[in-house]
Amino acid sequence: MNLLVLLTIAAVLVVIQVGVTRWVNLNRLAWMAIWWAALWAAFSYGITPPLPQSIVVLFMAIITIALLAYLSADSEELAQARQTLVSFMVEKRYQVALIVVILTLPLLVALSVFSSLNQAPQPPASGRTIHPVPPASISFEGNTINLSTANNPYRELEHSDPEAFAAHVDNGRRVYFENCFYCHGDNMEGAGQFAHGYDPLPANFNDATTIAMLQESYLFWRIAKGAPGLPPESTPWSSAMPAWENFLTEEEIWDVILFLYEFTGFEPRAQGMPH
Amino acid sequence: MILRMLRLRTLVTGCLAIAALLFAADPAWGVPQVAEQEYRALPFISSRVLMWAVAELHLMFAAFVLAVPMFALVIEFIGYKTGDKRYDQLAYEFTKLLSVSFSFTATLGALLTFGLIVFYPTLAQYLVRIFSWTFLPYVLLFFLEAVFLYTYYYGWGKFSPRVHLFLGVMLNIVGTAIMFIANAWLTFMNTPAGVDELGNLTNLWEAINNYTWMPINIHRLIANVAFGGAIGAAYGAFKFLGAKTPEERAHYDWMGYVGIFVAICALLPLPFAGYWLGVEIYAYDQSLGITLMGGTFSWLFIIQAVLIGNLFLAANYYLWLSMGRIPGAERFRRFIKYLLAVITLCFIVWATPHSLVATVEEARAMGGSHHPILNVLGVMSAKNTAVNLLILTTYVSFLLYRRANKEATVSWAKTGNLVQFGIFAAVVIFVVFLGVYGYFVDAQTRIGLSQPQVLSVLFAMVSVTVIDIFLFRNAQSRGRVAWGKIPARSQYALFFLAITFTWLMGLMGYVRAGMRQHWHVYGVVRDTSVDAFTPTLGFAGMVVSAIVVVFFLLIAVVFFLSSLSGQKNWEPGQSKRWFKRRSETAATPLTQ
Amino acid sequence: MKHALLIFGFTILVSAFYWYVSLWVPQKRTEPPEDIAISADISTDEMIAIGEEIVGGKGTCLTCHTMGESGTGLRFPDLDNIGAIALTRVEGQSDVDYLAESMYDPNAYVVEGFVAGMPDVSRPPVALTDQEILTVIAYLQSLGATPTVTMETQLQWQGQAPTTPAVTPVATGESRDGETIYASYLCNTCHTLDGQAGVGPTFQGIGSRLSKAELYEAVIDPDASITEGYIQGLMLPTVTASRFYDEVTAAELQSLVDYLATL
Repeated sequence: MNLLVLLTIAAVLVVIQVGVTRWVNLNRLAWMAIWWAALWAAFSYGITPPLPQSIVVLFMAIITIALLAYLSADSEELAQARQTLVSFMVEKRYQVALIVVILTLPLLVALSVFSSLNQAPQPPASGRTIHPVPPASISFEGNTINLSTANNPYRELEHSDPEAFAAHVDNGRRVYFENCFYCHGDNMEGAGQFAHGYDPLPANFNDATTIAMLQESYLFWRIAKGAPGLPPESTPWSSAMPAWENFLTEEEIWDVILFLYEFTGFEPRAQGMPH
Repeated sequence: MILRMLRLRTLVTGCLAIAALLFAADPAWGVPQVAEQEYRALPFISSRVLMWAVAELHLMFAAFVLAVPMFALVIEFIGYKTGDKRYDQLAYEFTKLLSVSFSFTATLGALLTFGLIVFYPTLAQYLVRIFSWTFLPYVLLFFLEAVFLYTYYYGWGKFSPRVHLFLGVMLNIVGTAIMFIANAWLTFMNTPAGVDELGNLTNLWEAINNYTWMPINIHRLIANVAFGGAIGAAYGAFKFLGAKTPEERAHYDWMGYVGIFVAICALLPLPFAGYWLGVEIYAYDQSLGITLMGGTFSWLFIIQAVLIGNLFLAANYYLWLSMGRIPGAERFRRFIKYLLAVITLCFIVWATPHSLVATVEEARAMGGSHHPILNVLGVMSAKNTAVNLLILTTYVSFLLYRRANKEATVSWAKTGNLVQFGIFAAVVIFVVFLGVYGYFVDAQTRIGLSQPQVLSVLFAMVSVTVIDIFLFRNAQSRGRVAWGKIPARSQYALFFLAITFTWLMGLMGYVRAGMRQHWHVYGVVRDTSVDAFTPTLGFAGMVVSAIVVVFFLLIAVVFFLSSLSGQKNWEPGQSKRWFKRRSETAATPLTQ
Repeated sequence: MKHALLIFGFTILVSAFYWYVSLWVPQKRTEPPEDIAISADISTDEMIAIGEEIVGGKGTCLTCHTMGESGTGLRFPDLDNIGAIALTRVEGQSDVDYLAESMYDPNAYVVEGFVAGMPDVSRPPVALTDQEILTVIAYLQSLGATPTVTMETQLQWQGQAPTTPAVTPVATGESRDGETIYASYLCNTCHTLDGQAGVGPTFQGIGSRLSKAELYEAVIDPDASITEGYIQGLMLPTVTASRFYDEVTAAELQSLVDYLATL
């Protein structure tokens, strides 16, 4: 959140709402334009990190529809607004302003065409499915692992044998810091020393929408098969995650999963639950 | 002559096809004797798109034909109980739309069956092999449906009210039974049961009562009412716009209002029926569920969010415009902007996608593919809260509309208002609290939270309504509702609602079938045709738009035919007079 | 009438708007997986069609078998008219069983004048599934006879092949030695160790005939130079189909060459 920008926008709105309306009879159309501009500024500049352009467009489309609905929900106000537009277009005293507007519109179009063509080439914006559908089962070292039923075999030790569980977590810690932390970072925030070279960035496990909403079998699949095992809907950005089945044993993968949850304090999603 | 021969041949082929359909029950007939083509193609248009359009149109008309008797019966019953002739008239007017629609439904259904046999012979044969025994009751019920429907329609006012109401009840029961049977076929394609690994039938009842059969039955039953109400309202709007006398305008204004009231009431429980359906899909096969909610289809639900947000916005908009016809409503005008603000906010939350479309630079600035703030809005807790508040806001709009011309006279009016307000405040706080709390608990608990949210909203709506009824008993009136005194754009709002409902139905119909991806019958019969791919959402949107436009063209025919019955008979010389009038008006400029 | 037109225009406008919304979201077309799925209820003709495709493709049968060629010097028996031949080839064995045995356990019966050496096609590298083998049998029967096999046909060999392709030991990170590679990629099918001529030249004395560099070349780019009397273009597709080039690491390749050099 960029509080300074948001506060300024709010202050301007308050001044207009309270101050200007008292002295000047603020036209409904002007009022709408001010709100529209204020919200646009808030979405575009008031939030850090900035919202993607696609989201700003979506939000502004909804707000445009809502403002139009508000304008036309009252017949008198609609008539007033229509009157304003009509008088602007036909009355003599607005002639100069009208000509300016008529000339500006094509100029604006030209400007937007120019700016859209004048951009440095960049990869197209694209939605990438972050958590694609896992296959029903995967093969691992010759065994078939059914992903919809597989459970972490060491998870139950948490209650039945805490000591053995701690040993597994410790082994997971070793595995993590020997293999994973270069990219996923010391604190699992996805900012390891190699992370900045990648696109997409390594996953941030502290984020409540990554491992906290996934099942352990899903993690097993992602770790074992890595980027090469991602289905096509996870393109076009290809992740750099290696297929760890070539380097880690099954036990090591389950252990490091235990460690991920232990370290971040999240609980894995239980099996067989809908989104 | 050639034309007649062609027609004869079509007839013969049609009869043969029906015979094949019925006799295929016998295994000896079911086994292909000769090598059969698995698919047939069409020039210009892919056979899948054609079947898609025909099936969806059939479904829309069927939904309409099943829904209208439901609320026509209720309206007729109200008329019978209160003795108010207007209700009886309204119910009859809705019923008038039925007869042509029924024929359209049957025609489109036959087209769908033939299409299946012609374009997808192997699939059709497989489904026939599984479900042959259900065709007999289906045909019988269809016959009964025709009998009851036409007796109900033509017998209006010809029977004693009780007999006529009984006919209406039977019509509804038969119609629902037909839908249940057809639903068994299509849900089997999504979540097949009662067959062994090779697809051979082991238990017919299990195949019928598969995982999604009941959820789809209930979901469709409710959605049909919403859809039927919206189309009925569109009919009212159509007649209103063309009305010549104030009486007509008043009547059709009222009809549109009733139609959309029915539609919105049915819309409110729909998300919960849909939720149950989703749960059953997950229970059947997790990867089917993830295909539906994750993957590419997750964007389909953003489109759905835009549609549903528009539905709520337009419904509120219509209510606000409707307040113009009630004296005293101007008192509540200032609340509109706050209601609108809440709706807009909820709409924004509801439509925020979880996976974002972002350029590489934007993604870098966000520090990954998730935005730290938007992320909060993209998950289930936020969506549930938003939709509950949307429902509540729409209810407040309706409440304001309801009490627009009323002035409470009971002694406890002030306390009553306070209690109502208190209930609202408490429920809103509770719903928002649960929404926020959902971020701090694990998934299992979070899913459980949606229930108290819904229940508290239901509680608010019921208790406030009850208080309201007592509060405005013997209320002082500020004047009667001036039906017909409403701007034309309100009628376009009704059309907008009807189109949006139809589009939404087309979209959800697409995803229900599309989630099978490259399977005709999920996991049993694979789609090996050239059309086995899942198209882009833009393509699907184009097809749905085309279907919606065709549907409204057909509905225009229905409206036109229904309005014929009220017109005067043709008299000799009428056309001559008309031509004369035309030539006179045309000639006028010349003589000047 | 005017209203009807206006309303219709409005309908088109709103529909077009929603179409636009559906174009605004990411556009992805999901293609069906490419493998040939064989469902339980396909007709015999479909089985034959699929079988023919497998014989020419995934099964790699035509690498060694021919269709309608006669004479001596063929690698493996010609398959022309095999449907009729299979009926009488082994006393007391039905044609379906014979054809099945020839695929699941090919060296149980070797046609006179031919050398044993065909691999079990239900195992890697060819790894046909039981269903696929049924379709191949249907296709073979159709060559000279009427197919009697169906998708329901039970064979005694069915169900023995692993349901998922066995993962080669490379996954464990352990390097295999040259002899293991020679055996596990079934090099012996074509290259004998005892001096007998096979589909390819014998490996006996190969180390003295070729230098290590030439051995590398012969493995990686088999068609670069061909021993006189052997067919060009045969080894590359066969070895590719065995996934040798995908799975063998550089270290393993070295040990294979080292091993060959000792022969």
